[in-house]
Amino acid sequence: MASAPQKFTFGNFVASVIWLVFWILVIVTLIVLPLIFIILFYVPLPPVEGEVLTPYLFFSMMVDPSRTLPIIKSFIHTDIFRVAVFPGFMYAAIIAAATIFIERKFLAKMQLRIGPLYAGKIEGILQLIADGLKLISKEIIVPSGADKPIFWATPIAFVATAAAVVALIPVAPGWVVANVDVGLLAVFAILGFFPLFALLFSWASNSKYPFIGGLRALHQMIAFEIPFILSALSVVVLSGSLNLSEIATSQNPYWFILFLPISAFVFYISSLAELERIPFDLPEAESEIVAGWLTETSGMIYGLLQLGTYLKLYALAALFVILFLGGWSGPQIFPKELIPGYSGVQIYNAITVNAAFWFTIKTFGVIMLLLLPRGINPRIRIDILLHTGWYKLIVLSFINIFVALALVYGGIAGPGGLVQ
Amino acid sequence: MNSKKSRTEGNDLPNDSPIEEHVQPNESKVKVKIDTTDTRPANGTADAILPTASSMTSNLEQEIINMIVSAYGNMIEVVYVRPSRMKIRVPPQDIVRVATFIKENFSFDHAESVAGTDYPKENQIEIVYHLSSYTDENIVPKILALSSRVNRDEPRIPSLINVFKSVEYHERETYEMVGVYFEGHPRMERFLLPEDWADIPPLRKDFRIKGR
Amino acid sequence: MTDFQEKVDETIKMGLEIVKETEEDRLMTLSVGPQHPGSGHFRFTVKVDGDYIVYCDPDPGYVHRGEEKMSEYRNFIQNIPHLERPVIHDSNNITYSYSLAVEELVNIEVPRRGQFIRAIASELNRQVYTLYWLAIYGIFLGHSTMFMWPTGDRELFIDLLEALTGARVTHAFNIPGGVRNDMPEGFKERCLRQIAYFEKRLVEYEDIFYNNPLFRQRTEGVGTLRKEDAISLGVTGSVVRASGVPFDVRKAEPYDIYNEIDFQVQYMKSGDSFARSMIPFLDMRESCHILRQLLDKIPQAGEVRAKLQPNPKGPAGESYKRVESARGALGYYIISDGSPKPYRVKISVGSFRNMLALPFLLVGSKLGDMPSIYWSLNYWPVEADR
Repeated sequence: MASAPQKFTFGNFVASVIWLVFWILVIVTLIVLPLIFIILFYVPLPPVEGEVLTPYLFFSMMVDPSRTLPIIKSFIHTDIFRVAVFPGFMYAAIIAAATIFIERKFLAKMQLRIGPLYAGKIEGILQLIADGLKLISKEIIVPSGADKPIFWATPIAFVATAAAVVALIPVAPGWVVANVDVGLLAVFAILGFFPLFALLFSWASNSKYPFIGGLRALHQMIAFEIPFILSALSVVVLSGSLNLSEIATSQNPYWFILFLPISAFVFYISSLAELERIPFDLPEAESEIVAGWLTETSGMIYGLLQLGTYLKLYALAALFVILFLGGWSGPQIFPKELIPGYSGVQIYNAITVNAAFWFTIKTFGVIMLLLLPRGINPRIRIDILLHTGWYKLIVLSFINIFVALALVYGGIAGPGGLVQ
Repeated sequence: MNSKKSRTEGNDLPNDSPIEEHVQPNESKVKVKIDTTDTRPANGTADAILPTASSMTSNLEQEIINMIVSAYGNMIEVVYVRPSRMKIRVPPQDIVRVATFIKENFSFDHAESVAGTDYPKENQIEIVYHLSSYTDENIVPKILALSSRVNRDEPRIPSLINVFKSVEYHERETYEMVGVYFEGHPRMERFLLPEDWADIPPLRKDFRIKGR
Repeated sequence: MTDFQEKVDETIKMGLEIVKETEEDRLMTLSVGPQHPGSGHFRFTVKVDGDYIVYCDPDPGYVHRGEEKMSEYRNFIQNIPHLERPVIHDSNNITYSYSLAVEELVNIEVPRRGQFIRAIASELNRQVYTLYWLAIYGIFLGHSTMFMWPTGDRELFIDLLEALTGARVTHAFNIPGGVRNDMPEGFKERCLRQIAYFEKRLVEYEDIFYNNPLFRQRTEGVGTLRKEDAISLGVTGSVVRASGVPFDVRKAEPYDIYNEIDFQVQYMKSGDSFARSMIPFLDMRESCHILRQLLDKIPQAGEVRAKLQPNPKGPAGESYKRVESARGALGYYIISDGSPKPYRVKISVGSFRNMLALPFLLVGSKLGDMPSIYWSLNYWPVEADR
């Protein structure tokens, strides 16, 4: 407590209650009520059971739960919901948060430790919220001589770009924020921005260690983008389309990983390098260059960069699932109706829920696989890294492209083939 | 265990008495009197009485000392010869020659440490090089202390860096701690002390720790 | 050429002169300073040309506390607590050497059980320090498990030492004349149990750390120190044993009861970083064997400390004694002038001697190899500064 405690008298207590009521009244009158009326009068609302949804009907329907279902359903199908909640930002952010926590616990178990334990009653589950609060309350120190506009803009651009990649990932049939016909190409185009951000931020930091780290990040990410694209190319050969939803649906009944194991391996290694995870975390090599291009980040800038990194982790893991593991395909374990015999308004769409469930399970599996090398390996050296990226991985990915081409020309796989 | 049983008398340094050499209990005496200002080159004629043949074979330390003494005679002063430890004293100008002789004829190939001690009563500073070997199995456990005394008012001594490469940092530390300048050292600078050290070399006896 | 042409050519030449890269411009100076996660309390300056190091200059002294000067103001027993500060977690070895030198000066005979307990504490400390070294090596290479596992296993030995001496680090256990107190009840069984568990863990370490292809890639062939260079530079400890010289003070010049213990000196011939990181690991295994023999042969009862007069002193003389610590041969050169306080104490530590190999090996190697070379030289900055 920074301020001196006031004397607790009854008069002070009544005064604080009245003060609170006063402020609630002011805010409700000046802000909340006009907002509600603007939304209800000017935003086009869907018709409910043949009637136009007027504000008065809306308020009267709130009391009857069975009449709110259509409202919720129509809201779920709007664009805003898709962008912000599912499968957009909030879904990805929740998975990113869960990933951070699971990573810490998972690594701790591998290293014979416990991990976060004290924040939250069950095994430190609120640790992430505690960390977020801490980061928000820290002072952001901008080094002298730093290029201020770029310094402030780059983390935000980083998160925005990561979110842009997330926007292209389909989670369930029909549930994608941006259904682009050249979705895969768009993903790689957007991924090409990240080396630029690393370089911009390290340059704007105006310090030696970030400079070295930024150069290393640039070399690393550029070196591994080519095997990345080539391994995804073999998938395109087999599926015949660049649209991510079509790639996911065309893996029926066999997943592409059966035909293209080498490509899956190359994709996995390249995504480790793109994400700057161990063993490829040279740009943040702590013992040599303090923290690489992240050295001068502090407070919320660091938080934004971490959020962006974990969003990217989710995006690349989800990409792996779509390209090689069949997307959302899986046995239908959710029944069509929750209550047999109920013929009223359908509460949920069984296919969508099933698809989302299987997608999430598979994504988490791949994320665990991406987290695993951190407990096993030391860091690699830059010349070995570049040698691997430019020589070995490109050769391996070409092998699998030829295998895919052979399969397509042999009429076995691909559009119109035997296995389809 | 061996060093505890036969501990010879160490009649050494801080007194100003004429130096006596040290003997093994059943060996014969080697009496060498030294004149530290004598700069005559080694002429091979030592006025030393060499020990008898029976004791030479079993005592490597004595053999080594005797060979050095027979080569450089007048200059060498044998301070003591104990099991596994020997100490000789040479004048500062000749230390490079003696060290080269030791390195070439026996397999002493590195210096373990270089120590500088201040003797204000005699107005001298003593530099001791502890030499040892990694290659010759017989000499591996033995340490030869090669020492020299310089005048405290003008402490300069030739550096042994061209003979034993391992003394580079030790000599720098001795320079800053006792103030002895090693001629021929490529970089005679401050090493451990902070950059703004403005006092006398700390290991000198007139440097008092504050409060004690 | 017209006047105008000449002027143009001159201007171009001037411009090229300004833009021309000099040798100094290409080099970047990195100060791997005392506040750096990659160096401990040690500063060294490195000039880098691209990725290759062309110049390295160590600058120790950040933690210089004047141990040698302080020793002249305290008597022989009072020197123990401050002399163990240079290496707090290997303190039994640095005071072991001092105690041996003082015992020779003052002519003290250490009882047999005291000698055994001293050797047991020394071996336990060797494990503690080597595990800490291995953990920091993991951090330098970016391997977090290699940091967590040794630090966790180190607690076994720290608990043992705490039962034996009363402190986790800076034990102040060895004194001239023996050790301060006897072993507690049940120490021997507990020690044997922990050693058995630890030897199983060493097998896992070898699998996960040393047989890891990435670790090998980063350390094999890196920073090779040939045998002749190692000998002429005067390095000691695991560095010189990794370059093919089987030198261990416990075998070369056995002190106390080490001539009754049967063990082998571990050495490798390749001299690269991998050998230098393997030797302490092999030494840990040998240390387990030595501990078993020590616990087996210790006399069941007896004094652990020789009776001393207060303010012990001996005749004037000097003494040089050395002991094999976890970093190399640790020598003490003590001159006494007949008073209870030493006249001069000179400590020759393995880290100071190994520092000479640092610029020798770093020049010409890549910047990415810097942590791997630097820490494999088994350099403890606080000890080198004394």
